[in-house]
Amino acid sequence: MKSKGSDSQREKVIVIPCSGIGKAFGSISRDATYEIVDNLRKDVTQTLCLALLVSGDEESLQLVRNNKCITVDGCPLQCAEKKVKLAGGNLAGSLRVVDAYKENRHLKPRSVTFLDPDGQQMALALAEKIAKKVDDLLEGH
Amino acid sequence: MADAQEKKVGIISCSGEECVEGTISRVATRLVLGKLRPNETVTICLPLFLAGGKEEREFATDYPTITVDGCDKMCAKIATERYSGKPASSIVVTDVTGNWYCSRLGPRRKLDEESQAAARKVAEKVAHEVDEVLERWM
Amino acid sequence: MNEYYRTVYDKFELLVRIGFYYTKDDLWVSIENGQAKVGVSDYLQKTSGDVAFIEVTKAGSTVEKGKELGTMESAKATIALLCPISGRVDKTNDELIAKPELINSDPYGKGWLAIIAPSNLDDDLRALLSADDYYTLMLQKLQTEHEKLESR
Repeated sequence: MKSKGSDSQREKVIVIPCSGIGKAFGSISRDATYEIVDNLRKDVTQTLCLALLVSGDEESLQLVRNNKCITVDGCPLQCAEKKVKLAGGNLAGSLRVVDAYKENRHLKPRSVTFLDPDGQQMALALAEKIAKKVDDLLEGH
Repeated sequence: MADAQEKKVGIISCSGEECVEGTISRVATRLVLGKLRPNETVTICLPLFLAGGKEEREFATDYPTITVDGCDKMCAKIATERYSGKPASSIVVTDVTGNWYCSRLGPRRKLDEESQAAARKVAEKVAHEVDEVLERWM
Repeated sequence: MNEYYRTVYDKFELLVRIGFYYTKDDLWVSIENGQAKVGVSDYLQKTSGDVAFIEVTKAGSTVEKGKELGTMESAKATIALLCPISGRVDKTNDELIAKPELINSDPYGKGWLAIIAPSNLDDDLRALLSADDYYTLMLQKLQTEHEKLESR
């Protein structure tokens, strides 16, 4: 597997979604994260697998401890936030999909496996919020 | 009807954000749940399971599980063994697709045709394992 | 002594609080010092999904049994909550404004919706279901759901 350290040496924000498989909001957390790390802020962010923190993967643990992290959770249980904190990660921000939903109440995402148009729109709205948080963190706020 | 005597298998998929095999694992699991074996399976949300979700852990302790991992780091299998017990079966997507490493540079967000075909193949394998597990359980 | 009747559906444990009264629309009523505390059942919160917004008729208002007490909104659905008891709303649970998820995490406790000073308590309670009867109804609802899924 390609080493995480071979990504750019400049400061990066690590964006970690919960990716909960049972609810549409879990899929939205994942898709919003991809929108950030593959598109909106691709040079200054990366993601990692949440489960690697729990299985004790040393590279992943060092990554979250040495960089600012933003978690993106699909439900109030906030599994991503909890696990990053437990791993001793540098948690600099926590967002929830419901935060995007509250500003977009007309959107009713239903599909979990592949996001429907409402789900895709909500993911984009959430990604904008994450992008703003990334910018704030990189500016030192 | 709605009690612990009903035979069900818990499917635990890795979340695998970093590579396309993680997405394949996830999609394959959803295909099993939604289409191939909807009455025989239940999904266990891995992040919730890891975070101590009571229902997830109790189900995985009381019922047989099948783990589906994107790569040979096998996070879902390791977590299941740690918190609930040895899964009845474990599948690794890279074994099914024939990749020998996790292809992080692949289209991990929206599966292309090749990856969708891989997801269907993995789903069929999982469904087959579900049948075997239930048969052993009878 | 058991506080709840329990059943398991898929991986979910569903609880019915013993000692409370229930409506067929899955609201509960608990009588404390002559006042009626109202909330949604575990079955309703589980089938509705994560609650994002809750709106309840404000304190001081008169409410009528069977009429809308409020609405509960998740990404899945917006549900009208029909009042189980007639009377005056004395208090609403303001914690739910910032934390509507309390309805999901503690539907019979911290997720309560309103406290009502009843105007017709005896008659209204007679029309409600006991915990035993509601448990039976809940199992029937689950069976119907199960049959719908099987026939897909």
